[in-house]
Amino acid sequence: MAEVSADEAVFIGLAELPSGRYPDRPFMGDLVNVAVAAVRDAGLTVPDIDTILLIPCLHSPADQADLVFSRVVEELGLHGRAKSSYMVHSGGSTSDNTIRDAAGLIGTGRARNVLVLQAEKWGSAPVKEMVDMLTANGIPREWEKPTGLSFNAVGALIQRRYMHMSGSTPADMASVCVALRDWARLNPNAMYKDRALTVEQVLASKVVTDPLHAMECPMLADGAVGLVMTSAGNARRLGNDRFVRVAGSGGCVSHYSIGQEADLAVLGWATASVEAYEEAGWGPEDADVAEVYDSYAAVLTSGMEGLGLAPKGEAARMFAAGDFSPGGRLPVNTNGGLLSAGHTGVGGGTALLTEGVRQLLGRAGPDRQIDGATRAVCGGTGGTYMDSQVLLLEAGS
Amino acid sequence: MTDAGMEALTEPYYAALRRGELVVQHCKACGRNIMYPRHVCPFCYEADLSWTQVSGAGVLHSFAVQRTGPPTGFDDDLPYAVGVVKLDDGVQLLGRLWPDEDGEWDGYACDGRVEFRGATGAEIERRPVAWFRRST
Repeated sequence: MAEVSADEAVFIGLAELPSGRYPDRPFMGDLVNVAVAAVRDAGLTVPDIDTILLIPCLHSPADQADLVFSRVVEELGLHGRAKSSYMVHSGGSTSDNTIRDAAGLIGTGRARNVLVLQAEKWGSAPVKEMVDMLTANGIPREWEKPTGLSFNAVGALIQRRYMHMSGSTPADMASVCVALRDWARLNPNAMYKDRALTVEQVLASKVVTDPLHAMECPMLADGAVGLVMTSAGNARRLGNDRFVRVAGSGGCVSHYSIGQEADLAVLGWATASVEAYEEAGWGPEDADVAEVYDSYAAVLTSGMEGLGLAPKGEAARMFAAGDFSPGGRLPVNTNGGLLSAGHTGVGGGTALLTEGVRQLLGRAGPDRQIDGATRAVCGGTGGTYMDSQVLLLEAGS
Repeated sequence: MTDAGMEALTEPYYAALRRGELVVQHCKACGRNIMYPRHVCPFCYEADLSWTQVSGAGVLHSFAVQRTGPPTGFDDDLPYAVGVVKLDDGVQLLGRLWPDEDGEWDGYACDGRVEFRGATGAEIERRPVAWFRRST
């Protein structure tokens, strides 16, 4: 494990609520419950938190406004104490950008204990309304909306290009979803923890947006996550002998419009990962676990190849061979990912990042903890996969 | 589809589509073609922008066929295909793809040649979109 300097930011606690459809769980209730659980998990008390960074929700502009305007601070009794509470937003890559922000605030002494909070009610919201919201926003109204571009079509454009370039078969692509389901079956918080999945079932489901079958499209879910960061010096004073640092970070914004992406099977991953591995001083071959954005199979396989976790064009076939499944060569998306743990909106990337932290803290439970995991490659992407954001995590003491 | 003040960018483009033509933006300062249309040139940052008609020939980078679950307002279009086309003129865009005679898109392939063939009449009035068909 890495020796971490006293002023460097580290993760010391986390909490998560089950993902799925939970109409009886109110939004603000989820937020404060997961906040209190995360703070306790870190060995702190709520008044120790001086900065709250909020991951946006997408189910309701009113709830989003509550986040922006510090409702959580008041709900947690931190009014008059908290230095700042604000939202970072870049869609599915928000968690990566938020953690960079938190690490910067802590590393410069401008924050002591930072609470990162996320909750989403996508699973309980009207599906058609949510899908229309996704379709109406984040694509160019003037140039692309009139084509009838759906969000699944964005995934399908990437998947078809990936299949063309790699020669991957529909069964190879379906096997990605199956591997994620196998992981989800080990995660008590996953939406599909109780339902097995086979390649045959995926391929027998109806074609929604060719080449994507229904079971290759993510299900919208409720979910909530809290993460606590502080300096390594504080962590040691609190008696922590194991925490997680950000060893490397890199990013590349490759487009806004899907129609302007130079290569739909490449995106910005390779560019983003160069800087991240250089900073970390280690490479993809050193990773013990990977947690990479997976709202569609090809989003994940493209990401893994760009991150150097699989040879170019081979990731889907390696999924089919079981390389990334439980018991395989490299554990990938050990919480089940967005495709099987549930797509909690902006929170899908946060859940993956949280799983990376959880694995390195050694707290993923007996069924899915990767023995001796000390290095995790985490990747997030937002909008129409506009950006590729990489955080390399490392266990430290 | 047009926000207030955006007509200077959208109208010349839409009007060309209604005439059955495809135009792209062109920077008079640096001479490069631009898509989608911008307020300033994203290459040289000058604002001396014009329009140029293009042949519409290019390569299909990828495409998707929407069979169910379209955005609100597109149910009557099903099934339909959208594709990213890289034009020979150095720019790319998302457009619609005409089906083959059997009503399907099996003849299309990534990296296959396509060409602009605009929609006409009520269709292009309804949806200002560039349509492409595969080159034979």
